[in-house]
Parts: sequence; structure tokens; C-alpha cells
Amino acid sequence: MPEKFWRTPLDIEKISKFKAEIHILKDQCKGCGFCIQYCPKKVLEESDEINARGVHPPRVVDEKNCILCSFCTAVCPDFAIFVKEKQCKDGC
Amino acid sequence: MSKEEIRIGVYVCHCGLNIAGSVDCKEVAEFAATLPHVVLARDYRYTCSDQGQALIKNDIREYRLNRVVVASCSPRLHEPTFRKVCEEAGLNKYLFEMANIREQCSWVHLYDRKAATEKAKDLVKMAVAKAALLKPAREIEVPIIRKALIIGGGVAGIQAALDLADTGYKVYLVEREPSIGGMMARIDKTFPTMDCSICILAPKMSDVGHHPNIELLTNSEVVDVKGYIGNFRVKVSKKPRYVKEDCSACGECSKVCPMTAPNEFDAGLALRHAIYTPFAQAIPSTYIIDMNLCLNKDGVIVCDKCVKACERQAIDFTMKPETVELEVGTIIVATGADVFDPSALPQYGYGKYLNVITSLEFERLINAGGPSGGRLIRPSDMKVPKRVAFIQCVGSRSNKTGRTYCSNVCCMNTIKNSLLIKEHWPETEIYVFYVDIRAYGKGFEDLYKRAKKEGVIFIRGLPAEIIEDKRTRNLWLIGENTLLKEPYKMDFDMVILSVGLEPRKDSEVIQRLLTLSRTQDGFFMEAHPKLRPVDAATGGIFFAGCAEAPKDIKDSVTQASAAAARAGILMAKGKVTVEAITPFLDVEKCKACGLCTRVCPYNAITLNKELKRIEIVEAACVGCGTCAAECPSDALTQNYFTDEQIIAQIDAVTERDADKKIVAFCCNWCAYAGADFAGVSRMQYPPNVRIIRTMCSGRVAPKFVERAFARGAAAVLVAGCHPGDCHYINANYHTQRRVERLWKKMEQNGLNKERLQLLWVSAAEGERFASKIYEMQKIAENVTPEEIEHAKKVFQKSGGA
Repeated sequence: MPEKFWRTPLDIEKISKFKAEIHILKDQCKGCGFCIQYCPKKVLEESDEINARGVHPPRVVDEKNCILCSFCTAVCPDFAIFVKEKQCKDGC
Repeated sequence: MSKEEIRIGVYVCHCGLNIAGSVDCKEVAEFAATLPHVVLARDYRYTCSDQGQALIKNDIREYRLNRVVVASCSPRLHEPTFRKVCEEAGLNKYLFEMANIREQCSWVHLYDRKAATEKAKDLVKMAVAKAALLKPAREIEVPIIRKALIIGGGVAGIQAALDLADTGYKVYLVEREPSIGGMMARIDKTFPTMDCSICILAPKMSDVGHHPNIELLTNSEVVDVKGYIGNFRVKVSKKPRYVKEDCSACGECSKVCPMTAPNEFDAGLALRHAIYTPFAQAIPSTYIIDMNLCLNKDGVIVCDKCVKACERQAIDFTMKPETVELEVGTIIVATGADVFDPSALPQYGYGKYLNVITSLEFERLINAGGPSGGRLIRPSDMKVPKRVAFIQCVGSRSNKTGRTYCSNVCCMNTIKNSLLIKEHWPETEIYVFYVDIRAYGKGFEDLYKRAKKEGVIFIRGLPAEIIEDKRTRNLWLIGENTLLKEPYKMDFDMVILSVGLEPRKDSEVIQRLLTLSRTQDGFFMEAHPKLRPVDAATGGIFFAGCAEAPKDIKDSVTQASAAAARAGILMAKGKVTVEAITPFLDVEKCKACGLCTRVCPYNAITLNKELKRIEIVEAACVGCGTCAAECPSDALTQNYFTDEQIIAQIDAVTERDADKKIVAFCCNWCAYAGADFAGVSRMQYPPNVRIIRTMCSGRVAPKFVERAFARGAAAVLVAGCHPGDCHYINANYHTQRRVERLWKKMEQNGLNKERLQLLWVSAAEGERFASKIYEMQKIAENVTPEEIEHAKKVFQKSGGA
């Protein structure tokens, strides 16, 4: 059980951050909401736009929070979402 | 039964001047000679000496004594000695009785020779009255399982485990954290030799991991203990690690784990992943998944990065908690201590000011394997501080925090830490604010001198307050230098709070499971502070390390080896005798009502419904006597504490001047020990109290109290362990129930119920006992002769006087 500490850990900057690129195939989405519901880091939410299938596809709240677990891909019945690690040179 | 003539020998001990200083021992002996059945009464300077023992043995033969009474110190001290003397002279040891005229007479009435002598006479009279009714008894032998359980895998537990395992016994070492090592593993260097802590501990940890006689159960907790000395049945709940032992500790899994939390091992100064090992030298080295943090905590595999990274396929999310059942003969409690949380002291600003750290955080910062790689840095700006202050006694020796004791390790720890700073950054200015510096151990004073020589400045007087400079995050310490009697206000880059040790917050769990006692400080209490410092009062259980009191590594290791030796003695013998104070059933009188089975805390009495008979398992019985007090038809008799013996004692007390006396029933473990402690501490209290010892307050049958009142006693005290601390699990709840019923009866009959008092007092609360006697003395003084007569009448029938 993680204990509670008041101090910010000194190495918080050093621990490698995940750089995720979330791809949503909006028109393939049927709006079931599984990805939103099951994302462990709550990276997704329902958007306002309406897609080709007449539903609200998800949108990314904060890509930085994504930990690349790809559970959204696993639960999506319509193969409408996938995550890739950002391949960046410098400055990202 | 043959009617042999009863021949009692009485020995009144001077104990040098300890008793003779305030009791006229000669007069007491002369008085004893006049008592019925007494054929010989002597006073002797040191009865427990070899000569004294020889004298008794000789007298037993020469005068054909068949009962012996020694009036000296507490039976808790020398009863075993004199019992042995009797045995050696061919007398059954249960034909011996003691009168406690030192702890409960001479030492508590130092300045009233007359009253003390009168009281001593009464105490001897009570002992003689009981002795006349003593019967020989035979002790049963119980085999001891040659396996040991050690609870806690800090340095104390490790040492005890290795010692016992090397002796050849099977050892189960239970540790609740994922790795053994405890507090010592987190410390950088040890004082006074400045050895690297983990470097000297790690080989021992590794030995534990590989020892063929040691079974290591980490991530596990003891959840149930049943049984008794030599035969404990223990249940250990083993939480899953979710990583199999195939793990090679390569660490690839940790690298890919997306979840992080502060590492407890580093006092939260560094992060760890959900799959982790607490520190590099951890034993077992197998990684562990913190399921509260892992993404898969809800039972759905959301993330399988670690599984993919693990070449040896050691990760198994399907592991379940298991309960391991162990059978052991001895138990060593090495559960350690907690560290004081200084956020309880707002004047130091811990938890608010970034650069105020605790000594434990300091250890991690100065440690090369720690979060800063051994660079001492200010958490606010990661710079090396130039001016550092240590504040001593944070959470020790203070009434405010409720921790009045000295934590033993902090002075030397600070001195060691100041030298460590000087070693790496000699220019650092170091100030230590202290109350007293206690450098009492071997090599400690030299280290203290060295620190002073290196330029560490010691200032007597703790700061009253710390104020932070909001801009620089520097800290202003304001207080008084009590040697110079002048105020100071100094600024520092960093302040280290030298935090004390405190009992584990969940100590009561182990206390309850093993029926242990704790001192007022909350640490576990030993059977005797001088002569049995590692034994618990409960047979077969021993202490090692900080569980018993704060101590440094050396003392912990010493005590651990001692505990291992003590446990080893028991297991080498292979058997233990159970004191013959178990109940005896009179089948003729027993109506098989089953009331006794309901009060027995150990389920040692059962009702055989088919045969309509009570059955007693002697080996499971520990002799509290609660059953005997509960039996409505007097069918159960507790050996050595029979109804007639106790009533004889009551009658002896109340024969003369009953209306001025307080009859006190005290349980052996807490109340009687508390009264002894009052004596050892020379706390004075009124001399009109007469204590009758029972093993448990649960033995005090209502009829004893009624008897005392029927015989005209002014007041009666029933005293036992605090609820929850009962040596016999919960037997004292029955005491409470019985006393409440008596109070009701007194009220209904128009009696002042204040005359019957119930007191919960621990073995460490001598003061509480003494003040209760003062309080009762006032009650006894105010009782009128009419009230005494009235009580006599009310209780005549039930008390049977």
C-alpha cells in the first residue's frame, strides 16, 4: 500500500515520462464509451462533435497523462483507437 | 486422606535492612511462633542466601516440617528459589507459601515501624493460615516443539533467527514488509565506529535467505496465535507478491512500469514503480507488485508491460493470499519501533518548511544509494547547505508529545551525522541544539569529543520556534541558550529534526495475539527488568530489539542473541512443566451446568453433553482460576488457590481490627506486580491494606468479597489488569461483571458501594495503586460502626462468616 508523504520526491523529473500519441479514428467510433470508461488514467472524454455514425466520439483531455497501456485499443469494439509512442528527435 | 499433623516452619527475613529497617523482624517471628500449627519460627538476615537455604533444609529434616512459610520479598522474585529449597529437602514445592513483607510492607511504610510491624504480623498470619491448608501437587510435563517463530525481520529478528538456526532449530521468520532488513537497512552509517550500515547488514540478510534452517515469510503477518508455551499454533497470512521466485531481479519490469509512488524505504524522497524492489540489497531479491498501485488492481489485466518485459516469465497476476499454519515451541517478538512524526510539533514547521527534514530523511540523503546519490541537498533548491542545525529530543523526553522517555539513539545518531557532514563538506557549519547529550556507551564519548574537535558547536536549549524566510527558504531558529542564559536567533540553510522512537502504532495487535503487557510508554514489558530482561511474562515468548524499548543496533543484536539463547534453553530441554495451579473437578458436586466452559478464556474446559460431564484439558489450562470463581456449586477447586485457602486468608486479616482494614485482591500479573512496583519505587501509602494474591482477578469469587464484609472489613479492593491487557485474554471482564453485580447488591441493601472498589492497574503503575489506597483509606475512615454491622448482616448468609 503506497504510504502518503508530504514532500515531492526528488527524482520526480528524472523518472521517464511517457510520450504518447493517441490516434482516434473518429468516424469508425460508435460511441459506446468503453475507452473513456476504462482508461486507467482518465485521458479521454466525450467530445461535442458528431461523427459520420451520428455519435460523439471521444477526445483527448491530456495526452501527457497517457501511459501507453493500450487498454483502449483492447476494449474498443470498432478498432477506432490506438496509441503509439511518440518518436521524436529533440525537444519533445 | 491421612490426618498427618501439620508442622509449619516460619522464616522472617531481615533482607539486611531492607525489611529490618522498618519492621521488627524478631517481634514478627515471636508472633509467628504463637500461631496454630507453627512449630518453629526464626528471623534470619538473608534467607535467600546459601546459608539461609541450608538452614531451611536442615530444619525441614530436623523438625519434620511439612509446610514452610518465608516472610521476605515478593513471591514474584523468590518463590521459585524457596520452592526449590523445599523440593531439595524432600518437601513438595506446593507446600510452601510466601508473605511479602518487603515490597508490600517495609518499603511502603518506611517511616512507621509500629504499623509496618503490625502489618507484617498480619501478612505472616495470612500466609500461615493458607499454608496449613496447602496440599501437595504434581506438575504435568508438556513437550516443547523444537521450532521457533520470529516476528519481525529487522536486525534483531535477523540475529535471533541466525543464532537459533545455527544452533540447529527450525526457524520461521515473519516480516510484514517485502524485504527483511528493517530500520538498519535504511541507515547510512552506524555509530560509534562509522561502519557502513547496509554493508554489515547485507551479509547477514543473505545468510538468512540461504540458511537451510530458516523459512523466510516476507510480506506476511501473524494473524492468530493459539496454544501455550512449547505448543503454539500460529496462523500467518502471506500476501501475494505476484512475482514468482524465478525472478532474477534484473529490473527490466520496473523500467517499463508506468505507475509510480513514493518509495517508503527512501522516506518518500524517491519514486518507485508499482513493480519494484524496495532497495538493491533486498532479501528476498524477488520483485513485488504493489497491487494497490498497479493498473490491474481491479482484476482486469489493463497493462501487461512488465509481463512482456520479463524474460523469465516470473510475473503471475493470479497469485492469491494464503494462510500458512505453523506449529512452534517458542516465539521471539522483534517487531521494532516506529519513528515519531514531527508534524505533531507545529513550532518546527515540519511538513510546511521544505528544508526542515527528519533524521531518517537525512540518512537517505547522505546515503550513496539514496535518492540524491549521497549528496546532502536542501530539498528547496537541491544545493548543498552551508549551515546546518540539528534539533535533539524531537518527540522524546517531553510531556507535550506524551513521550516522556529518552529514545536512546538520537544523541549519538546526531553526533555521527554531524561527523559525516564534516567528512564530506568540512566547511559546513554545524550546530546541535540539545537538552542533554547522552554519550553513555562504549566509544560514544570519544565520538562526541571528536565531533567537538571537528568544530561542531553544541548549544544547550532547544529552539522555541523555527521561522522560514519565504524568499531564501532559510530557517531562523529562535530560543534560549540555557547555559549562557541568553536568547539566540540564528539562521540556517537546513534543519534536521532528531526524531525519537515510539512504540509501533499497531502494537496492540501483537499484544492481544500473544497476551503481552506493555509499559506506560507503550513498549512491551519484560518479565523482570533486571533478571529476566528478554522474557515476556507469558511463557515461551521473548523480546528482541526496539519492541521492548528504544535501543541502538549493538543493544538490539545483544538482546537478540540473548532471546535466542533463552528460547534455545527451552527447546533444548524439550519439555516444560506446567505449574500445578489447574482446577480440580469434584464430580459429585458438579451439575454440568456449563457455566465454567463459558468463562474459560482458553477453552480448556468443555462440556461433554452426552456424558453430562465437564472435561478439563490440563495442558491447555493456564491456571487463571476464573472457572473456579464462576462455579455455582463449588465443584471446581483451583490448586494452590482453593476457596478454603483464600477464605482462611480473609479470616486471618479480619480476625482483629477488621473495621480499620482494607482487604485487597490483586492479580499476580498486573495489580500485584503494580503493588510490588510501588514498593520497589518506595512509594508510601497507608498501612491498613492487606493484599491477597490470586493469579487473575477472575479468580475473585463474589463470595470472597462478601466474606470480607461479613467479617467486618471496612473496605474491599479488587484489582486486575486493564481491560484488554488481561494476562488471560479476557478473564478480567468476568471480574468486572461480578463486581458490578456486587455493587448492585450493596445498593439494594442500602450499603455504601464505595466500600467496594474495582481498580485496573498495570505492573508499571505503582503510583496508581498507591493513590488508590490513599483514596480507600479515606473511605475506610468514614465507615461508621453501624455501617460495618449492617454489611455484616447483609452478607452473613452468602459470605457464611
